[in-house]
Amino acid sequence: MKTPFDTATGTIALGMLLTLVLFLIARWLVLGG
Amino acid sequence: MDQIIDFLLRWVHFFGGIIWVGHNYASMIQRPAFRPPSREDLGDEQSPVYMTLLGREHGTFRYAAIVTWLTGVGMLWQRGVLLDAVSLNGYQAVIGIGFWIGTLMLANLWLVLWPNQKKVLGFAPAPLEERVRCARITFLSSRTNTMLSIPLLFFMAASQHGTALFV
Repeated sequence: MKTPFDTATGTIALGMLLTLVLFLIARWLVLGG
Repeated sequence: MDQIIDFLLRWVHFFGGIIWVGHNYASMIQRPAFRPPSREDLGDEQSPVYMTLLGREHGTFRYAAIVTWLTGVGMLWQRGVLLDAVSLNGYQAVIGIGFWIGTLMLANLWLVLWPNQKKVLGFAPAPLEERVRCARITFLSSRTNTMLSIPLLFFMAASQHGTALFV
């Protein structure tokens, strides 16, 4: 089964998306929820 | 003295991290798509594909990962913010998320990739079918760490230079 990990672009895109999600969570944590 | 220790830990942390994640990036450039090893290749210890797999296997990056993790934890401990970081408390949540991503990557490397890689290479006994299946798992495990390194670098940088992002 093909996954986004099967291309470099897919891997990097997932990493960027994860970065955005985690950044929003971190911002929420730092700013006190 | 504290600053010198912090500096030395940071230097080794960067160096270890580049060796570790550099292997992941090199793998992505050299082998952008998964090419499953054939049963013939894995079954013949003299085959060029098997020899290449063996040549590629060296513990350097696995131990670099441990050094990177330890120096990262050492820096947090030395600055007295380890507990705040681990518990995602206040601004330390920024490097804390980095800590948890790095810990996940270390666990992925040692507990998922390596046990499967040992089977692929024949270091651990496994039927041929399973060795071929494990090759796919090691590929996905490696790519997972490549993906995780992207937010990890973001949080490393943001913890020191990204205060403007959190106001």
